[in-house]
Amino acid sequence: MPSAPPQATRSHGHYLSLRNVLVTSEHTAVLNKVDAHFPEGISSVIMGPSGCGKSTLLKVAAGITVPDSGKVYLQGKNLFRLSEKKLLHFRKGNGFVFQDAALWSNKTIQQNLALPLQFHRRELSQHAIDRRINILLEKMDLVDTLNLRPAQLSTGEQKVVSFLRAVILEPSTLFIDEVLPSLDHVMVERLMSMIRDLKQQGCTIIAVTHDARLTSLIADHLVIMNRGRVLECGPFDSVRKSKNHEVISILTEVLSEAATYETDLLDLLGGEKTTEP
Amino acid sequence: MTIGSIGRGVILKAREFLYAAGFMANIFKETLLFAKKKQVGFRVLVMQILFTGIEAMGIVSLIAVALGAVIIVEGISILPRFGQGQLIYTILIIVITRELGPLLTAFIIIARSGTAIATELGNMVINHEIEAYLSVGINPISYLVVPRFLGVVISTVLLTVYFNFFGLFGSFLVTQLIRPIQFAEYFRNLLGSIQVVDIVSSLIKSLVFGVIVSFVAVYQGFKVRIASTEVPQVAIKSVGQGFVLCILADAVITLIYYI
Repeated sequence: MPSAPPQATRSHGHYLSLRNVLVTSEHTAVLNKVDAHFPEGISSVIMGPSGCGKSTLLKVAAGITVPDSGKVYLQGKNLFRLSEKKLLHFRKGNGFVFQDAALWSNKTIQQNLALPLQFHRRELSQHAIDRRINILLEKMDLVDTLNLRPAQLSTGEQKVVSFLRAVILEPSTLFIDEVLPSLDHVMVERLMSMIRDLKQQGCTIIAVTHDARLTSLIADHLVIMNRGRVLECGPFDSVRKSKNHEVISILTEVLSEAATYETDLLDLLGGEKTTEP
Repeated sequence: MTIGSIGRGVILKAREFLYAAGFMANIFKETLLFAKKKQVGFRVLVMQILFTGIEAMGIVSLIAVALGAVIIVEGISILPRFGQGQLIYTILIIVITRELGPLLTAFIIIARSGTAIATELGNMVINHEIEAYLSVGINPISYLVVPRFLGVVISTVLLTVYFNFFGLFGSFLVTQLIRPIQFAEYFRNLLGSIQVVDIVSSLIKSLVFGVIVSFVAVYQGFKVRIASTEVPQVAIKSVGQGFVLCILADAVITLIYYI
């Protein structure tokens, strides 16, 4: 039976903490009494096999999905008991990149990117909003898509626009759910560069990824999951030394394909591949 | 069926009712705050009025004229036999203004806008677009529901008034074909038969129907959870529940009037 690290049961002292969180769907536990924490100002990476509950964990931590039971603490305060004003303030300060992009299909790309600014930066003129959108789209070489609807974009382009929508309000916390798959090499480089800049600016990043490059680029803190449970949660160095066979197995299995690229995370983990059961 | 399963069914229904009541209270609260917040959603409201109100004027006109024509043709054929020819104006007012005007308008809006709203919101739930609104700090009730709710309520009231005018005017046009009558005489008789309570009753009914239609549509839309097959199901439910609740509300309001 895997045990959660001691820090995982504490709600205070961490930016975001999940305690005993249960989320069910169709009578199946997607998150099964999960404990996890995410420190402020550093980057956390959530890893685990497909369908293990990573995206749900991310949505619960972002305050998007309300758990069936358990608590989510934001700097020691119960997130779902915050006043509406404080919850709005928390969400305004966040960006969330969805696995399936989740762009608003009845709006153009320009409208998708403009809406958060129109809502929360009312002091900005339409001209200033358009300028900001253009700068972001130019960085990704997507200016031509400005007046298109999301359905007219490729899956990769949709994900990039979803990323741009998440960062357009200059968030202090960025939640990323598998943004890199289905992107070409150039787009990956551009996106990684933006993520690196955000990290350097002190943005708290919580990412779900199977990508070894992104993990090696940003991971200061790791959360390893399997079958709706958190197996390990702690600083990168601490988790990489884990003797938990399930954790080692997941790291090797999940990253085996991705690790054949430029950066071999398994090397970073100190040759754990040899200890695979 | 065991007592246990009946009990569970009752508890489930009670929970659903309480959830719906809370959802409705939330909509009313956000509706009151709508003007204060100077929402970007004002554009959504205008678009909703355009779709629900303006674009429905054609079909409303047709049904109103047809209804007025039927009442006139039937009335002129039957009532004079009983020496009650003048009653045609009272019947016109009761049937068009007080009863069928608000009800048929509500039915048209259920069929056009109720299904559209339930389907649109249901698809947005499945595509995680509602979650996307939450993620950028936009309250979906405030941005998506309130403009649709207000748009449908405003459109229902205005379309009912339009239905009444068009039904009564249309009946005049039909009268000209059967038994030509002076415009002034027709409307003098009509105005002589109409009472303030008829107009108030029509407006109250249209307001109540507007609230019912919009609430049922958005509630059903948000009931979609994971599968696209749920979308047509909630669209059908929004029509069925809308019809039933409007007819029940109509009966209650009419009963109150006569009691």
